[in-house]
Amino acid sequence: MADIALKFAVVVSCAPYGAQGASSAYQFCTSVLQAGHEIVGVFFYQEGVLNANQLISPASDEINLPEYWSQLSIEYHFPLEVCVSASLRRGIVNQTEAEQLALSQHNLKPPFVLSGLGQLAELSAAADKLVQFL
Amino acid sequence: MIEKKIGIINRTQPHGSAKGRESLDLTLAMSAFNESLSLFFINDGVYQLLDGHNPKQTLQKHFQPLFKMLELYDVENIYVCKQSLMLRAIDPSNLLIDVTLLDVLQLKNKLASQDQLLSF
Repeated sequence: MADIALKFAVVVSCAPYGAQGASSAYQFCTSVLQAGHEIVGVFFYQEGVLNANQLISPASDEINLPEYWSQLSIEYHFPLEVCVSASLRRGIVNQTEAEQLALSQHNLKPPFVLSGLGQLAELSAAADKLVQFL
Repeated sequence: MIEKKIGIINRTQPHGSAKGRESLDLTLAMSAFNESLSLFFINDGVYQLLDGHNPKQTLQKHFQPLFKMLELYDVENIYVCKQSLMLRAIDPSNLLIDVTLLDVLQLKNKLASQDQLLSF
């Protein structure tokens, strides 16, 4: 365990498949937690918002990264915040937005939540270290 | 609590990806919560500030006018790499907004003095 427990905020800027960054971010989070530190939250921005897509369906012998994020967040009680404006542009929608925008579907995977960039400012203020994965 | 100094690094050309636009969106939103933001424009990122974009023909939003909002939002620490401008034959007088030009060593020192960095 770590001598001094630090608070980490993590920013994920890349998609769950097709690039390495989001997988590395997940592995970084698990290492941080195993070392006895705290994750105050993970913020998904740019292509990173695609990590919250409930419809991602890889082959059965492959990693389902959105599912991994969900389980880690529930086990360690930290939020998965997804930038709402970046999400809507990329087709990641929760039930409230779907109703407001008169869309017939929504696909935000729980426990991911849509939130604003102000939430990133809050995570930044609460964290000792801010780490971004590109 | 002392406010954290956040550096936002812009390294990519203004179009071809949404990185520049989403960096500016983030900057304007964060400025409401943090008054210690610094912007850095290096490498192809300097093209973001070169006046005269016209991206409509490529179906992209013309976000360049939003750079003018930085002053209104009190984001005043805007640093541009002098060498990046020189290598691209960009005259600083053609930049859209008032900036501080820094050489590589000054940039390194400024970056090192930030508490947190985000890169686009």
